[in-house]
Amino acid sequence: MQRSILITAMALLFSCIVNATPEQDKKLFQKFYTDRFSDIPISEFSNGVYALDQDARDQWEATLDFPPYEYALEEGEELFDTPFRNGKNYASCFENGGINIRQNYPTFNRQRNTLITLELAINECRAENGENFLAYGKGEIAKISAYMASTSEGSIINIVTPTKGNGLADYKKGKQYFYTKRGQLNFSCANCHLQNAGRKVRSETLSTALGHPTHFPVYRMKWGGFGTLQRRIASCDAQVRAQPLLGQSETYKALEYFLTYMSNGLPINGPASRK
Amino acid sequence: MKVLFNNSRAVLICILLILASFSSIAKSVTQAQAKAATEEAHNLWQQSIAAGHEWSTIKPLVVQSKKNLTAKLYFSALSLAEQAISQSKQALIQAEHEKINWLNNLPK
Repeated sequence: MQRSILITAMALLFSCIVNATPEQDKKLFQKFYTDRFSDIPISEFSNGVYALDQDARDQWEATLDFPPYEYALEEGEELFDTPFRNGKNYASCFENGGINIRQNYPTFNRQRNTLITLELAINECRAENGENFLAYGKGEIAKISAYMASTSEGSIINIVTPTKGNGLADYKKGKQYFYTKRGQLNFSCANCHLQNAGRKVRSETLSTALGHPTHFPVYRMKWGGFGTLQRRIASCDAQVRAQPLLGQSETYKALEYFLTYMSNGLPINGPASRK
Repeated sequence: MKVLFNNSRAVLICILLILASFSSIAKSVTQAQAKAATEEAHNLWQQSIAAGHEWSTIKPLVVQSKKNLTAKLYFSALSLAEQAISQSKQALIQAEHEKINWLNNLPK
């Protein structure tokens, strides 16, 4: 009798965890960080690891007098404004002319029943206007995306998650990917950026997953250029010796959707520079 | 003395012949094993991909194993394939385990 009660209770608990609403997930997720780093205001998580490590922050702030991404950002603006061969430009594809919209992406398109990231929307805009797709992750697409992010500086991330259907399924897919251990080193995203956030891996402080999407695309010294959030996720996968997925794969789009929703309420402060 | 020398020589030749035949058998067994192991490595690697838990370390092993098999480097092909098999099996165990275990990583 006691055993069956225990099994029923466990099944109920399991069901509650799996079927928690996105809103419940987000509250728990953000509470985890605000409890753990109780002296850090929640908006500071937008600064990633620099919210946690004062020495690193001092060095980072010193570089901001002459941001290393300045020229690449200007190029992004030029690319954004350059007309396509048909005379139209990127502004013609987006609401508000593509200005101050970063905080609304990724978005679930109900008509097409699919997730649309900002980089995917940029490429679809090109295709609609007879231009070739740009390679994802870096290069021109990251520069254009960085410029668009810069026009959203200070705007609050406002991702809407559907409560049913494929949108919710995508959200859950991203959530599961974030918490699932993978690769030869058997690490999940959460192992580093949730459970061990603030601790060291060799000489580096592990950043919090809360706030990750606010500052992408980032200009990484290691890359010598801008890279998108999905490029960084692929690097993380490679570091734990899991095979990285292709940019804009359904799984990476879902992960970006989940992560960005978890940062709802935080201000956009991208593009940013990182080591 | 001469008889002893002749006998020793005969024994030595016999030993060499036996070793040579073992070597030949071992080589042919390894060729068959290498081919089977490379095929098994490929199949298990594909299964790990299908399970969504491909490790980045497996593909290079499978690719090099196939190359070595083609180049008739059977011992090396077998060794690499066995490593790929072992890693793919671990990846599949991980995939099965993580079907439920990911819930343990949720914030508490």
